[in-house]
Amino acid sequence: MSNVVLEKVSRNFGDFAAVSNVDLRVNEGEFVTLLGPSGCGKTTTLRMVAGLEQNSGGRISIGNDIVSDAARGIFVPSERRRLGMVFQSYAIWPHMTVFENVAYPLRVRRRPNAEIQQAVAKTLRLVEMEGFAQRPAPALSGGQQQRVAIARALVFEPKVLLLDEPLSNLDTKLRLQMGDEFRAIQKRLGMTTLYVTHDQSEAMSLSDRVVVMDRGRIQQIGAPEEIYRFPANRTVAAFFGTPNLLDAQVTGCSRINGRRVRLEVVGRGWRGPCEAANEVQPGQSVTVMVRPEDARIASANVTNAEQGLRWFGRVTHTTFRGATRSIIVQTETGEFNVDASAINNYAIGDDVTVVVPRQVAWAVPNPNELKS
Amino acid sequence: MAISTDDRVREVSGTAGGSLLSQPRWLQSNSASRTAALLVLGLVLAFLSVYPLSMLLYGSLHSTPPGMAGTFNLDGYQDVLTRQSLVTLANTIGISLAKTVPSVVLAVLLAWILARTDTPFRGTLEVLVTLPFFIPPILTAMAWGMLGNPQVGLLNQLYQWITGSSDSPINVYSYGGVVWHMMQYSVPFLFLLIVDAFRAMDPGLEEAARMCGASRWRTFRTVTLQLMLPALTSGAILSFIRGIENFESPLFFGTPAGIHVITTEIYDSINQRSPPQYQYATAASFVIMALMFLIVLLQWRLLRGRSFVAVSGKGYSPGVIKLGRWRWVTFGFCVLFFVATVLLPVGQLLIGSFFKFFGFYEWEMLTLDHYREVFGSSEFWRGFGNTMLLGLTGATLTMVLGGAVAYVSVRTKWRGRALIDAMAWLPWMMPGIVLGVGFLWGFALLPHAIPIYGTIWALLLAYLSLGTPLSVRVMSSAYAQLSYDLEECSRVHGASWLQTMWRIMLALAWPSFAVGWVLVFFGIMRELSASVLLYSVGSEVLSVVLLKLWANGNAEQVSVIGLLMMLLVVLFRWLQLKMLKRVVR
Repeated sequence: MSNVVLEKVSRNFGDFAAVSNVDLRVNEGEFVTLLGPSGCGKTTTLRMVAGLEQNSGGRISIGNDIVSDAARGIFVPSERRRLGMVFQSYAIWPHMTVFENVAYPLRVRRRPNAEIQQAVAKTLRLVEMEGFAQRPAPALSGGQQQRVAIARALVFEPKVLLLDEPLSNLDTKLRLQMGDEFRAIQKRLGMTTLYVTHDQSEAMSLSDRVVVMDRGRIQQIGAPEEIYRFPANRTVAAFFGTPNLLDAQVTGCSRINGRRVRLEVVGRGWRGPCEAANEVQPGQSVTVMVRPEDARIASANVTNAEQGLRWFGRVTHTTFRGATRSIIVQTETGEFNVDASAINNYAIGDDVTVVVPRQVAWAVPNPNELKS
Repeated sequence: MAISTDDRVREVSGTAGGSLLSQPRWLQSNSASRTAALLVLGLVLAFLSVYPLSMLLYGSLHSTPPGMAGTFNLDGYQDVLTRQSLVTLANTIGISLAKTVPSVVLAVLLAWILARTDTPFRGTLEVLVTLPFFIPPILTAMAWGMLGNPQVGLLNQLYQWITGSSDSPINVYSYGGVVWHMMQYSVPFLFLLIVDAFRAMDPGLEEAARMCGASRWRTFRTVTLQLMLPALTSGAILSFIRGIENFESPLFFGTPAGIHVITTEIYDSINQRSPPQYQYATAASFVIMALMFLIVLLQWRLLRGRSFVAVSGKGYSPGVIKLGRWRWVTFGFCVLFFVATVLLPVGQLLIGSFFKFFGFYEWEMLTLDHYREVFGSSEFWRGFGNTMLLGLTGATLTMVLGGAVAYVSVRTKWRGRALIDAMAWLPWMMPGIVLGVGFLWGFALLPHAIPIYGTIWALLLAYLSLGTPLSVRVMSSAYAQLSYDLEECSRVHGASWLQTMWRIMLALAWPSFAVGWVLVFFGIMRELSASVLLYSVGSEVLSVVLLKLWANGNAEQVSVIGLLMMLLVVLFRWLQLKMLKRVVR
């Protein structure tokens, strides 16, 4: 097992920068996910680690070896990087049996036959495909192909495992199951893993750390919960779910502890406290993020919500979603999404108050302010 | 783990920046060896296509036959610009048009019957209907020469026997004969080109039209046919080009009736006139090349921006129309086509081979003498040996070359791949006879240390050149179907470029390779127009042997050899169909 280090890694296609200045360190045994919308450069980043694409700037190391350094003209071809990889299409070779597919990495390394038999059997057992060894590869279902692809990537005990949207071709139920199984195997083997997906819930549930990318740049690196609750900027905040993003002006600022500050903000028709990561000068504008599931709906004349924020408005739309009920409240600042328990039943036209505690109202700097 | 950094890290030359970076890194294997490979490929292709083409230009300006000292002038082109030549040109285009239009109609009808209706035994019928495409045209030409002979042809005898009159209504030595013989090839050829478009059409597109309220006929007119139009247009143009290139039909049925087209004109002026008019023939060849080029340009313009939207490659099961009792009519139609194009000529060959004299079918004339003569003739065995040798080596080399070209043009982003692709495609525009003339000049002008002319290698090179466009097409589509992941996955998991080529790419593409091989083999077996210019004593192939026998009036031995070739055709076609089944899986 090894760590993977990317230092100022860039990739340009002509004038277009697909990836720019990516700094990332994946520790030994860690599961790191590259997350972002399509075209954000996450797959290109993975392919550069795999050696399928050459970085036009920066340096990539796996373990103690530099595998690619644009400045010094070093480039180790894919086959000598000792990686395992699962492709989005699985890339199961259709002319081979399951056994031969999994045995391939060992065969090209000219391992003795007895060792191959043993290693393949062991790995197929790991992915619960031992009964399918002699099946021709095209006769497998999507989930089975995925298991074979994972087995093939694991069989020669690679330094690092790379996965390129491996679950995106499966149906929802299978996707959840395969994701959990895969995470269990990864934990058991302690394999350093770099995973690419555009699916936020997949990234949340599987990863030790998530790297959010957009337009070729890293937006934020952190544990899933941290990224979800304390996004670094508006892009990251907007990427997960459908949060309420409200413009506001800072009127006061005080530090709570080493990692949080308390801001007093004022918006159109509302004012109150919220939290942020860094100090903001009074008078500057911020975006306050409130997740729909963190907001609560109370009757119109609630007054004792000193600790948090309040918006008055009228219910304009409700949607029953099974576990929750989505309610849209028209307030002075605009529409406010609230995910309430499905038992609550507010009728359209009801006057209500949206109540949000300070701890879940998170302010991020406005991009415009950053520029100035 | 104990490997030192030094042998795992490879220095890349400092110039490898910039444009080279726009491709997956693993494809830039070794810069030097890649350049060498490209160079070799380019040189081989240049010799096979650019060289004979430029020799055409050279020869058309050269006043004496190849290999003799002469001056340069424009006499050749002056001869081409005579009234007589213009009539020949008009004949060529007219005949090709006259056979293309009915061929398209028939092919669409057959494709619709076999792909979209519930006609019984469609699978078998499809094999039978396409069979004429694989029979060497020289065989059917000779068979029809016997069947439709105005004096003693079997069809005329039959007509006289039935009606009691002494008229002979059928004469294949006419415009009609030339067109009819061409159609026997162009119908199955067009059918093969368009039937997949019919079959692979998403039925949803038609159903949507029906849901919008269009009738069945209106749907066919406004949706089905419109979607087929790109495939139909390109098929029709291809068929038209093939018609212009056609040599056998006008040679057998046109020349005796005084109908000349451009290919037979070239052949006659080299082989039948004394002294041979090389400059005129070469100039005519160059003009026909220019004509082909114009047609191809036209095709590109016509088809630009139109894609085969309907053909998705996914296995749809298109809506099959229930014909009721009419399905036996469509069945009969297909059978009739098979009878007219295969059964009649093969039957004629069979009958002809057992009777003492062609045209006189009496019980006491039955004989096996012709078989004895053929099997005892060294000329036959030499031709057979040459055809087999050329077929086996030619098909193999062509497919290897085509596979290499296709790989470079489809799977890599190497600079120069477009040029390689274009050079490999160039012979596609050259009729066999034109390529033969080009090589005739080319071989004569080679240094004496390379004596190709007059050997069997001359034929091999011509076949390679003629077959390469086809092999590139077959292998390109095979590679295009393989996702890059399959290749990349192998590299990531430790296989070198060579290992990947051998264990993944070739292993996956070999069924296409085999199918293409058989196609090229068929092409070599039937080739006549280039062979007849490039053969010399000792290097005759079967088709040339047949032509010589026919010219000597030996129709009976022709029948024997023809039957043997038919046997080969059926055998190889059967093998090919078996392999195709495995490809489709």
